[in-house]
Amino acid sequence: MIQVRGLTKHYADAHFGRLVALDGVSFDAAPGQIYALLGPNGAGKTTALRILSTVLRPTAGSVTIQGLDVVTQSPEVRRRIGFMSANTAVYDRMTGWEMVEYFGRLHGLADDALRPRMEQIFARLKMEECRDRLGAKMSTGMKQKVSVARAIVHDPPVVIFDEATAGLDVLVARALLHTVAELREHGKCIVFSTHIMREVEKLCDRVAILHRGSLLAEGTLEELRDRHHERDLEELFFQLISRHDEAHPLAGGAGDRRRQETPCEGSR
Amino acid sequence: MSWFNVRLILAREIRDQLRDRRTMFMIVVLPILLYPLLGVAFFQFSQFLEGRPARVLVVGRASLPEEPPLVEGNRFAPGLFKSPSRERLLEVHYSEDVMPGQEAGEPSVARMAVSQRDYEAALYFPPDFCRRLASFREAVRKGDVGLEVPRPVFLYTTANERSQLAFAGLLDVWQRWNNQFRRMNLAAVKLSEAIVAPIEPETIDVAEESGHGGAAAWSRVMPVLLLIWALTGAFYPAVDLCAGEKERGTLETLLCSPARRSEIVLGKLLTIMLFSGVTAVLNVVSMGLMGYLVLSRLPGFGPPPLDGALWLAVALVPISALFSALCLAIAAFARSTKEGQYYLMPLLLVTMLLAILPVASGMELTLGTSLIPVTGMVLLLRAAIEGNTWHALEYLVPVMAVTVAGCLMAIRWAVDQFNSESVLFRESERLELGLWLRHLVRDRQSTPTLAVAMFGGITILLLEFFLSFFVPRLAGLHEVVVLAVVTQLAVVAAPSLLLTVALTRSPRQTLLLRWPAWMTLPAAAALAVVLSPVVDALKNGVLHLYPMGAAVKEEVDRLSEAAGTATFWQVAVFFALLPAVCEELAFRGFLLSGLRQRGTKWRPIVASAVFFGLSHPIMQQSLVTMMVGVVLGLLAVQTRSILPGMVFHLTHNLVTIFWAHLAQVGAERWPMLGYLVRLGDAQGPRFPWPVVLAGGLVGLAILRWFHRLPLSVPVERRNNTGV
Repeated sequence: MIQVRGLTKHYADAHFGRLVALDGVSFDAAPGQIYALLGPNGAGKTTALRILSTVLRPTAGSVTIQGLDVVTQSPEVRRRIGFMSANTAVYDRMTGWEMVEYFGRLHGLADDALRPRMEQIFARLKMEECRDRLGAKMSTGMKQKVSVARAIVHDPPVVIFDEATAGLDVLVARALLHTVAELREHGKCIVFSTHIMREVEKLCDRVAILHRGSLLAEGTLEELRDRHHERDLEELFFQLISRHDEAHPLAGGAGDRRRQETPCEGSR
Repeated sequence: MSWFNVRLILAREIRDQLRDRRTMFMIVVLPILLYPLLGVAFFQFSQFLEGRPARVLVVGRASLPEEPPLVEGNRFAPGLFKSPSRERLLEVHYSEDVMPGQEAGEPSVARMAVSQRDYEAALYFPPDFCRRLASFREAVRKGDVGLEVPRPVFLYTTANERSQLAFAGLLDVWQRWNNQFRRMNLAAVKLSEAIVAPIEPETIDVAEESGHGGAAAWSRVMPVLLLIWALTGAFYPAVDLCAGEKERGTLETLLCSPARRSEIVLGKLLTIMLFSGVTAVLNVVSMGLMGYLVLSRLPGFGPPPLDGALWLAVALVPISALFSALCLAIAAFARSTKEGQYYLMPLLLVTMLLAILPVASGMELTLGTSLIPVTGMVLLLRAAIEGNTWHALEYLVPVMAVTVAGCLMAIRWAVDQFNSESVLFRESERLELGLWLRHLVRDRQSTPTLAVAMFGGITILLLEFFLSFFVPRLAGLHEVVVLAVVTQLAVVAAPSLLLTVALTRSPRQTLLLRWPAWMTLPAAAALAVVLSPVVDALKNGVLHLYPMGAAVKEEVDRLSEAAGTATFWQVAVFFALLPAVCEELAFRGFLLSGLRQRGTKWRPIVASAVFFGLSHPIMQQSLVTMMVGVVLGLLAVQTRSILPGMVFHLTHNLVTIFWAHLAQVGAERWPMLGYLVRLGDAQGPRFPWPVVLAGGLVGLAILRWFHRLPLSVPVERRNNTGV
């Protein structure tokens, strides 16, 4: 379903020179599976998901979704994905219903298919109170529900969640994770980025641990535990990161961004 | 392109804007309420608009004749004003009353009163004024015309505006008093007043017949208002739709949808256009209506002509499209609404300048001015509102072509902005000067960054600008040569070379210092020779469109004259070789290398050509040089070497000098060239059009050959374009 090979992304930074956001990352995600990208801030999770959702172009490597290349066949890819970004952005001056309807229409759904689908989603996500409420007047939980509804209104086979539970209270986060689990039951391929271990342990089928753009480990939770002889995911995570930091110390103190000595080729 | 998606985005954006109170206030509420309120306020406060009376000190009242009366009490005589309401604007005081200790009739009293600002103006009448006036009148009666007329003294100060106004009022009063005095003199010698009465012509305002009476005021104001409000109306929605959406985080979601970037841009553009148009219409109609109601009492102020309104309505579409596209592209670059407002301010300032300049300077609608963006449109609308419909129609095509071309370029730019990762996902960067400078030096690249290149280019332009203030009036060859050397070495070459050494890792790569394929050198020289008739034709075309001012022409002639006294080698070294080396290193070496960090092949070439053109002080010369700069840029990019450009530049300069020399010595020495070029023309040699055409065709063939050479694609731009 999703095939990522040698994914690399470089940025040019006015202060730090060239930044390597992703450095040869590879993984596969299958239908009916929740694939977690786990990593601290600045690990490259959002960059990877933005490439998957076609808004960024990789510096090197390839990504295919249902066999379609995200660079050369981006319009087709966008029809097959639902993307929910971390900042729960909704239009302030549109109601929940209008927003979901807007994206449904952009995905080419006709009225007769769109309306029943929206009714179904609004009922399933218990979104009645957001139906006629403007985005500016919504609570964070409502915004999150609208974002989910917007991402799945066209029933895409692939759904991408970028730190979807960040900043949510326990109840809303739990409801969202429940929705994600439901989507898996419907055979969707889900890519889910987070830095919360518990979510990964509870929800995800496979995990990729990213740090400073590098893929440190990849596999099912059990495979990772067996491979690294550590049952506790949090402990395992810290060990991997510490080992990586020791092996690749930062040059120039540029925070968690890797500065390369080679001349900049990225344009950002 | 899916028009369904465009319509969908358009409908959403319109609904979004209609629900935004701030936008609605700016676009609808303000014009509907503001101008009527301003009109009400005008009437309410008009009482305060009446001027405070100016204090005028009369020194030597006792010397004033009784007839005709000049003053009555503390006013000038009632019959001496244009209208009775103006009588109270001049308040008369007498030196005897206010300064009893002072010697009456002393002129220094009047001078002191004004210079100390106690009075706005003063009138000094010499002690014998009345007596001499009576003598004069008596002499006139006897037919003796040799007597000198006594003169009073008016004192005022240009350091104070009220004093100048008072002085103008005094002159008006004095002129009327003079008329009365003249009438009395004529009566004394029993002559009819008619013999000295000026011949008053009969006046006919032909504009009344065509319904354009009083249209001049409208023609000056309405086009400017339309442009400014079309821009202002585009300004706020553009910021909200692009920078605002980025700031709120909704843009990324839209980019993940199946809508293509061009569809998103078009949907947003049409929304901005709609609001720009509505804002302009509401403001112009409201302001026009209120202006007419308030100002219709003034003479020479008629209602706005109807056909002018029609022209404004038609022009609004391309104007809104142009400003909307520009605002969209600029706002797309901004990360936040605040940043968007900052970025759009320069656009507003430039537009205001281009819109107001033709009104202020009395510019006329010609082919040349019609090709200036915004200015051409203002002049066209002005001509149309004044009733010169045929004159306006004559230039409709060039004005529209320039506006539409600008609009298309801006749309293209906006689409590029939406395709650029660096623009869409720029993070908020703090400006840390120290860190940035360290990065510039520490992380130097092989070639300069875009920012460094732009800095270098602007530095050259500014240095040239400031140098022009310190250059004395050039008199001889020596001074002209010194100026050429200083300009080329210190202003053009030095900044580029310094920045290259300090901020790049590879001066050789930056300045394109490599040997090209040997064939490119004679080909570049041949290209310069065959293109010289084309460049000459371009120069003549530009001079036809934008004739050189008399002062500039005189300066150019003087320079040419001074340079004409030089030997061939002096000319070749200082006016051909030196610019060829220095300007190529600066513009095709340093600047073009930096500009190529981003963008396609042609944009850096055109941008470097614009800098190259602007580095020449005369506007007409700049335009031609820009076109030559494009050819030079292409040579540098295609050959990856500075040398072919230098050879072209040197040959071009030498050929130009040769034609100028030929024009001076005449065709006798080179009779065969008479087939190629017409000499003896006052404006220099002229090439017949077959020669220009042939030169152009051969030049194109050579350029095509250059174009097929291997092209060096900068790796930096490979990843700039989004999906």
